[in-house]
Amino acid sequence: MQYQTRRSIPTLLTTIGALAFLFVPLFIVILFSFHATDALTPPFEGVSLRWYREVLADDAVRDGLFTSLRVAVLTAVTTLIFGTAAAYGVSRTAGRAGAAYATLFLLPIAMPGLILGVALLSFFSNRSISLSTLTVVIAHTVFVAPVFFIVARTALDRIDEAQLEAAADLGATPGYRFRKVILPQVLPVLLAGAAMAFVISFDEFIVTFFVIGNESTLPLVIFSRLRRTIDPSINAISSLLLFLNLALWLAALLYSLRLEARRRRDALAQVQG
Amino acid sequence: MAPTNEAEHKAFAKTQLSIQHLTHRYGDDEVLSDINLDVTEGEFITFLGPSGCGKTTTLRAIAGFITPTEGRVLLDGDDITDLPAHKRPVNMVFQQSTLFPHLDVGQNVAFGLEVAKVPKAEREKRVREALSLVKLEGFERRRATQLSGGQRQRVNLARAIVNRPKVLLLDEPLSALDLKIRLDLEVELRRVHRELGATFIYVTHDQREALALSDRIAVFNQGRIEQLDKAEVLYREPNSQFAASFVGDANVFAIDIASIGDATVTTTDGLELPLITDQAAVGPHWLVVRPEDVRFDTDTAGVEATVMDAAFRGASVTYRAECSALGASIKAEIPDEIPGTTIGRQVQVSWSGQRARLLPRQV
Repeated sequence: MQYQTRRSIPTLLTTIGALAFLFVPLFIVILFSFHATDALTPPFEGVSLRWYREVLADDAVRDGLFTSLRVAVLTAVTTLIFGTAAAYGVSRTAGRAGAAYATLFLLPIAMPGLILGVALLSFFSNRSISLSTLTVVIAHTVFVAPVFFIVARTALDRIDEAQLEAAADLGATPGYRFRKVILPQVLPVLLAGAAMAFVISFDEFIVTFFVIGNESTLPLVIFSRLRRTIDPSINAISSLLLFLNLALWLAALLYSLRLEARRRRDALAQVQG
Repeated sequence: MAPTNEAEHKAFAKTQLSIQHLTHRYGDDEVLSDINLDVTEGEFITFLGPSGCGKTTTLRAIAGFITPTEGRVLLDGDDITDLPAHKRPVNMVFQQSTLFPHLDVGQNVAFGLEVAKVPKAEREKRVREALSLVKLEGFERRRATQLSGGQRQRVNLARAIVNRPKVLLLDEPLSALDLKIRLDLEVELRRVHRELGATFIYVTHDQREALALSDRIAVFNQGRIEQLDKAEVLYREPNSQFAASFVGDANVFAIDIASIGDATVTTTDGLELPLITDQAAVGPHWLVVRPEDVRFDTDTAGVEATVMDAAFRGASVTYRAECSALGASIKAEIPDEIPGTTIGRQVQVSWSGQRARLLPRQV
């Protein structure tokens, strides 16, 4: 039997308080992005889209957005390629060697972004690599690869070794086995991992701050604006990013729900079959 | 090994697969010790043995999943020992279904043909043929998850034979299935073997399955082939205590022969036991008697025993009797219930002296 907490007034108040703590600031940010005046605090004095117009017309914001998108897409792609290769290699390496490789690939997770930023910056300047969006992509890939690695490895480990033996037995070379047996089964998960890499890269600040050259990603643009003026245009940018993120998460959620429904249908068919 | 049978076997048939001095070690652990075996084209041969006896390891060495520490595997005279699995013209059916979950039945069966770049029309024709051979016509568009366990193994079989392998390897393909489906599929396997005419190598730990399916059986024990013979020969003339007790039910008595009579031998304990053989000799032996050769009587002479248990089997009744003189429990399978043979009753146990078998025993 499931244990249920008794519904009491203090429990209810704590719950409401916690939820308010999480969502009221978000709500205020969104609300004041539609503010008619340049005040950031109540009272609310009328609705307007002026800050959205202003932000979308701002070249700095637009450039920042495109830089961020470029960096995030490139990071997702490189992470997809290298992360998949690493996870595949580890999942097919038996015993202690496999575990050792896995630990090495995961280690960067424990590294603070600050240290990673400093380390990469000194590496790039030592090797005389000029800072650009390319160095940002490299830095982001290092940063998100471990997260992707975990996701990819879980999916790859689920594939039964006997299936690969069966494929080999039917004449499939290692490359063919990867393309026709493994990839079709793990592709949805790998793409979800790449989407995660995209999202993390898109709003990454600390590491980017160290290794970027003359250009600016959107988080850097917001940061520099904040130091100059504080008006609802910041709220408008934040709200836009929030909506974008929400849309992405929603798409991912619907997609995974569909996968889950299909899995359940198959499992049911199996029981009945 | 029964030398006459082997010689007779080789005289008229062509050797297709030859395993020579196959030895495999994991570290210090020797799992295969000098396996030698010639398999004839079109033969149904079974590797029979308990788990860990080396039967599956041998099969995997033939398939190419392991490279043996020593020894060679020859197919039609070509050494394939170092050839990777995907280059060998043999196919395998695994213990658990290994159907690809992202493909439907037709695509699964076509997998090997697609690898071999067989044209589409030909591919579809051969998939149809293979599915009809395993009695799953029209199942092309089903998904593996929509099939029962028995159907899934049929698809695995179809997928393995669609490439027309020279040798088909079967690694306990029925062991995960229910008894009834297993019995049905045994019949199907024999039919498929007859219709294809390919060489089948079958691995199982189930002696009943081995006896029912095979032309010849190789009994494996501790990384060695204990005996290789036709099913009847193996059953009637086992040449080791292990083979005798592993293949079929057997009463195995440790006896010490003191003297040899006409139709009996006398043990050092003074027991007179029925035995007719030209191989009887004085000294310690194993005496092997199949349960169906045992008789229980109340009046004729025999070894005294007490009935301990009776189990009705439909076509026969299985009795178990405790015999203190032999220091063993005796199993008897008797076609009809013996009237008055109740539990606790004293009976005289005897058996056919011709059917009993004597094996040397080390002490």
